[in-house]
Amino acid sequence: MRTFLATVFIAITGSLILWVSTDRGRAFTVEEARRLDVRENPRSVPEWHLQNQDLETVTIQDWHEGFLVVDFIYTSCPSVCLILSSGLKSLQKDFAPELEKNNLRLLSISFDPEKDTPQRLKEHLSHFSANFKYWIAARPVSSSQKKAILDFFKVIVIPDEYGGYTHSAGYHVIDPQGRLVAIFGVEQLNELKEYLTQVLNKENDH
Amino acid sequence: MIIKIKQEWLLLTAFVVLALPPMQQFLEQSMVTHMLVQIPVLAIIGWMLGKKLPENWKSKITLWNRWGITGMVLAVIIMTYWMLPRVLDAAISEWHFELVKFVTVPIMGIALSLSWPLLNPIAQGVLKLEFWATFMRLGWLYLDLPDRLCANYLLSDQRILGQLLLLSGSAWAITWTLRIMFGIRIIKT
Repeated sequence: MRTFLATVFIAITGSLILWVSTDRGRAFTVEEARRLDVRENPRSVPEWHLQNQDLETVTIQDWHEGFLVVDFIYTSCPSVCLILSSGLKSLQKDFAPELEKNNLRLLSISFDPEKDTPQRLKEHLSHFSANFKYWIAARPVSSSQKKAILDFFKVIVIPDEYGGYTHSAGYHVIDPQGRLVAIFGVEQLNELKEYLTQVLNKENDH
Repeated sequence: MIIKIKQEWLLLTAFVVLALPPMQQFLEQSMVTHMLVQIPVLAIIGWMLGKKLPENWKSKITLWNRWGITGMVLAVIIMTYWMLPRVLDAAISEWHFELVKFVTVPIMGIALSLSWPLLNPIAQGVLKLEFWATFMRLGWLYLDLPDRLCANYLLSDQRILGQLLLLSGSAWAITWTLRIMFGIRIIKT
């Protein structure tokens, strides 16, 4: 009887702990957890200073008119950043009218500010035929700013074996109120487009 | 008596060495050493500590742990918890998860050492097979997955871990087969 009670107690408590620590069975990895978290608790983006490809200082909070899609890159990246940037290029094409109406902007933030000079950021954008009016690339102005930005987005960057980086990759959506409201993975470009179509239509109705 | 005390001190020393920040960082640098060295060694420390518990403690615990059921349930839950990729990541970035690891994994070892010998042979067989299957399943999964499970580890690391899991699972299967079919005992279990 005692064994039975103890077993039932441990089984129930243990299952509850597992249930809670996977956000009710919905997030088993850190990446899933951060996506789920911003969907449920949108967070206001703090004011950071970034330097763009034209050596101008910009802040995310400057942009209040519409939605902003942010990705994180380093320009010498051979793999996933290229896919992310092609994704933004495809957004630039598909959402051209929205970009013209100032309802949407694209921003690539570099987490390798030592190597990614404004000149290199400019080259990176040119590779993807970016229109600098709608799509800017920028780097944090200091290492403390870089840390604050990565921590806010919960982007984890680790050095890889080829002298580059492996990092959490995704499209981060910031709404006109300046809140981080959604994160889509590299593989979720179509979902991102559907989401943007939906929220931009809603925005136009107002 | 002297030998007994010595062994307990050895266990304590091993634990302290694992908990030293440079050692922690070294083992947690790679997914392979984190999962195949640090966590197993913590569990083994617990297992050996369990063997060293005073007899009257053991008999008191056994009242709540008939046939080793309670302890096995506890051990399986702790194992499952540390197989969640986000928990492994959390142990690297947040100190309180690290603390939880250094407490719960040795507890799992203690629970195993107290409960395994009491377990019904059929239950032992089923669990052994299940542990082995977990090795093979995870090994295959890690080899095959195109994405990283842990944000703090590289994909190449995950692949190596997959290979090692499959290798050790296969070695385990071979020793078993030898034992069951030909009665050759390579390890005493």
